[in-house]
Amino acid sequence: MSLCQNRLQEERKQWRRDHPFGFVAKPKRAPQGGLDLKNWECAIPGKANTLWEGGLFKIDLIFPDEYPTKPPKCKFTPPLFHPNVYPSGTVCLSILNEEEGWRPAITIKQLLLGIQDLLDDPNPESPAQADAYNLFKKDRPAYERKVRIAVKENQPN
Amino acid sequence: MATWMSDEGLGARESISEAHLLVTELYNPANQRDPARINEIQTRLQQLQKTENAWAIADSLLQSEHSAHHRFMGALTFTVKINVSWNEINQNSAAEVMQHLINRFVALVTNGEQAMVVRKLASSLVAIFKHPTTPWKQAIWQLAASLVHGGYVSEEQAQAVDFQERILPALSKSGSGALLFFSISLAEEALRLDSEPLDGAGDTSAIQRAIHNIKDGLLLVQFVLEEIKQHTKAAGDDAVDVALAAEAMNSWKTWLGVHGNRQRSSAEDVNTLAVRCGQTVIETLRVPSLSESAAAILTQAFESRRWAFDNNSLWLISEILADSIVTVHIAAVRSGEAGAESMSFVDLLIAYVSHLHLDVFSDPMTPQNSAIITLVHGIFKTPGYASIDDLGTPRVLEFWNDIAESLPDQLEEGSPRYELVKSHLAEVVLGLSNKLLYPKSEDLEDWGEEERSEFGAFRHEACDYLLSAYPVLGVDLVTVFQRSATSHLEARDWRNFETAMFCIAQLSEAVDENGHADQCLDAIFGSDAFARLCAGGDTGIPLKARQTLVDSFGKYESYFERHSSLLPGVLNILFESLNFELCAQAASRSILTLSKSCARVLTSDLPAFLDQLDQFRSKPTATVSTMPKVLEGIATIIQSLPSDQEKVQTLERILSFFVQEANTAREEVTGPAHESGRLRGHLVLSCIASIGKGLRSESEVIDVELSKEGNPYPPSFWNSGPGAEAQRLIMEAMRLLIVGFPVDSSIIEAACDILKAGYTERAGLFVFPPSMTVDFIKSFPLGISGTDVIMATASSFLASHARHAMNIRSEAEALIDHVAQLFSSMLQNPDVYDPETANAGIDFLARLLPKYYPILFTPIKSTLSAESSPLAVLLHFTLHALTRPEPLPLRSASAFWVALIDLRGSSTEEMNILESVHQEFIPRLCYTIIQQIAGRCARSDLVSLTDVLRRTIFKKMALARPALKAALDSLNAQVTDANGQQVPLLSAQDKSRFLDSLAIARGGHKPSLDLVRSFWLKCRGMNFDYAQ
Repeated sequence: MSLCQNRLQEERKQWRRDHPFGFVAKPKRAPQGGLDLKNWECAIPGKANTLWEGGLFKIDLIFPDEYPTKPPKCKFTPPLFHPNVYPSGTVCLSILNEEEGWRPAITIKQLLLGIQDLLDDPNPESPAQADAYNLFKKDRPAYERKVRIAVKENQPN
Repeated sequence: MATWMSDEGLGARESISEAHLLVTELYNPANQRDPARINEIQTRLQQLQKTENAWAIADSLLQSEHSAHHRFMGALTFTVKINVSWNEINQNSAAEVMQHLINRFVALVTNGEQAMVVRKLASSLVAIFKHPTTPWKQAIWQLAASLVHGGYVSEEQAQAVDFQERILPALSKSGSGALLFFSISLAEEALRLDSEPLDGAGDTSAIQRAIHNIKDGLLLVQFVLEEIKQHTKAAGDDAVDVALAAEAMNSWKTWLGVHGNRQRSSAEDVNTLAVRCGQTVIETLRVPSLSESAAAILTQAFESRRWAFDNNSLWLISEILADSIVTVHIAAVRSGEAGAESMSFVDLLIAYVSHLHLDVFSDPMTPQNSAIITLVHGIFKTPGYASIDDLGTPRVLEFWNDIAESLPDQLEEGSPRYELVKSHLAEVVLGLSNKLLYPKSEDLEDWGEEERSEFGAFRHEACDYLLSAYPVLGVDLVTVFQRSATSHLEARDWRNFETAMFCIAQLSEAVDENGHADQCLDAIFGSDAFARLCAGGDTGIPLKARQTLVDSFGKYESYFERHSSLLPGVLNILFESLNFELCAQAASRSILTLSKSCARVLTSDLPAFLDQLDQFRSKPTATVSTMPKVLEGIATIIQSLPSDQEKVQTLERILSFFVQEANTAREEVTGPAHESGRLRGHLVLSCIASIGKGLRSESEVIDVELSKEGNPYPPSFWNSGPGAEAQRLIMEAMRLLIVGFPVDSSIIEAACDILKAGYTERAGLFVFPPSMTVDFIKSFPLGISGTDVIMATASSFLASHARHAMNIRSEAEALIDHVAQLFSSMLQNPDVYDPETANAGIDFLARLLPKYYPILFTPIKSTLSAESSPLAVLLHFTLHALTRPEPLPLRSASAFWVALIDLRGSSTEEMNILESVHQEFIPRLCYTIIQQIAGRCARSDLVSLTDVLRRTIFKKMALARPALKAALDSLNAQVTDANGQQVPLLSAQDKSRFLDSLAIARGGHKPSLDLVRSFWLKCRGMNFDYAQ
């Protein structure tokens, strides 16, 4: 088994054993029912006592063959209203950037917790979508209203 | 006594007396309620522990007859002093301290010292062991020999006596306990050193020396446990020294860690010893007072030290799990009579079966493993709710999930073992059913948010299991829940019905699209009981069951598309469910998707849906998250009506309501109900926009030939025929909520959606006159929030007319001039610079370039002053944006210049215009970029700026090269060299090398970016490098 597959198996095992409350992370299932380890469907809950509380935001983690040397691509599905999320849904975060903060030792748990932190603590230095970025900078009440709508539309089942 | 430990001299004697007094004070009951005093004493003690008299203080306290607290503080002071004087300790003094501490240790143990003091002094011994100059290797052996001897014995002398055969048997009980303290302390320190990064030869030496003790540590464990076992046999369980045994087992686990991390491959004898020790630990499971600690230690070892168990160990443990006191404990969990300690046995059970994994299902299974698997299944019978009262079930489920996932890849389908495992997976499904029942309302009342979420998470874990088991169990799995659902629906047993539907809903992932379970679903949704539920009225279905049912509709969209005859009934339930907050979101989503996929079938039910809409729209659940979806769904059905005439009647009915609502909103915003008015206005426009989306004809293709020339807004049914009133109603609602209505970004967004709804169509309710878009866009002042959405609408508008651009020349000119005016204002007055407008305006320009450049590059009617042409203002502004710190305008401006450099005219005239633009602006562009990448811009902007630079070099080398050279020559930053002289930051060679390298890279992405990054770093300073 490749390094990538081995590591992902281990991540799966570790996640089962211990994962942060309210988070979901599991490999997608292929049509025949087998697991596609390089493609995970995850969900990140909004942190308590923040605007994002109550929402559960679905995000796909797509692992390249070179993982863990290279980071996975993290993509909200559907795309999320957030200054650091590209219109395609891809998250812009230093620990997900091979040339910045990515290290092979970063676990899926740490990644998802990092993205959860980013929700309520956007980085205005790296805007990824104009809509959320402009409102965040210019019209905070309108930004907060839109976040609340996003939370409402992303309720856990 | 060594001189460094002497208590001679006034200072030393005073310090020693003070320390004794302080310790007495520290533990004086009268001071315990005075934290300030305690803090003061501790601070002073810490000061004394760091003085040169600390050795003498430590030794004196250690010998104190006053109290164990004094002696404890003496041991602690030794540790502190060793660490404080780390750099002064040399080989001689280290040996001296070690010898002294061993003597003191032996004396304390001989005198029957309390465990806390012995343990503390064991730590001091480890502290000196750790020192790189300490010549101490087989520390456990030497300390044991000293304990037996009654005083310090050198390492050489100790080694002359056999450790296992002679020293260990000669140890007293207190001696072996004290030695265990030291052994654990040493092992823990070795583990710590092993996990920390090495920072010098000292640490390496300490770890290496500690490793020499693994075998002795394990022999000690084996000896202590065997002694205890023998003693128990003779004297019974009551006589067991539980603390000593726990210490020994813990010591086994810790030495396994040290051994496993470094040595395992090269020390077979130690491997064997470690496994044998493990077997002794396993045997202690049979000793009632030790079984819980043994279970906990073994569980941890299974999780991280799998190699510590051989076949004999596994056989031994299977015997015990299958039939011993441990079995009784596990059975007690199942019957709900167990205390919290019994979970240790369940954990061990799961650790054991997880270790064996599929091997537990051998052919045939051993009787022990059969009994063990029965125990595992039995955990599902534990009373109470999983994850809340019953903690065993989630752990067992984790094991089965793993088995279900591995089975298809690891065993051949149809083989006896495969079939055996399959039967167990099926048994798990039956066992889980009761565990999935949603709590009764009276139970739920006592639960907090966390318990609800825990239970919810367990249900999803269980469904994850069902999905893992589906490839093995197939449709039979769905049948189990279908039977349950049908019978409970018939009996109106909503709690059980909810559970069955929950499982069926989760299995949709495996069966919805392929239709494998359609027969099962037919049996539920085709039943009379379901038909009665669809008919509505007072069914008594509780909210939770309704919510789950609504979710299941959403998850079986493909099934319902294949069974469209069921849709009217299902939509009836969905509309009814809109009234309940818990279901409204999911119901509105399903109404939308089902209406979209089956619009034609649903046209005959439209009147009923409209009636339901009339009821829904006044409910509190009719919000911006739900109502627009419902309207989009209904509009999709309206779009499927055969004639425009039929459509218009229904649409007028809906739109009239929204005009009324817009009037109400307008009244509200001027009064105290301002916020309500704003929300209502937003809801109205969002709903109208959704109707527009729903009416969008997917089949209609704009006829390019027909629309090539002529009127961009030809007369149609919708603008000059019977549909005109409906269109007027939309325009009226827009006017009411835009003109003179407070500016609000969400309202702007919804209004833009209304405008955009018709851009992909030639004729229709939402195809408005082009001037409406232009007037709307021009009506907003500079700097408002929502400009990006407005300008994106302008781009979409132009894109929708791109094939006949000249037909809307005047509208395009008006929009370009509008942007030029905004830019001009910002250039003239930097205080009003608005990054959103800058970004949105530049983005608009970049998007219009490919199709509308002939309009952009020819003089247009403008309201700008005569001396500044709109084109010059626009280009100047895009250059200016490249120099600003805001990232988004900089990115758009880069994209604009890339598009402009790529542009090719289609006629000689156009090419000439373009050439003159390039001639005039490329030198300025090159100058701007070089200034920016010479350390001015942020690192994150380099990618965008390099894109423009490399494109300019690749496409316009002749123009770019001299311009870049001139720009580089203009850089004149100075730095101070090693001699304190001011010298240029970049030499002439640096500059020409950079330019040559860029030219050689010929616009290649990676080489150009690497060059620019290095150049930026050189100019900015290397401390900005990521690696720094």
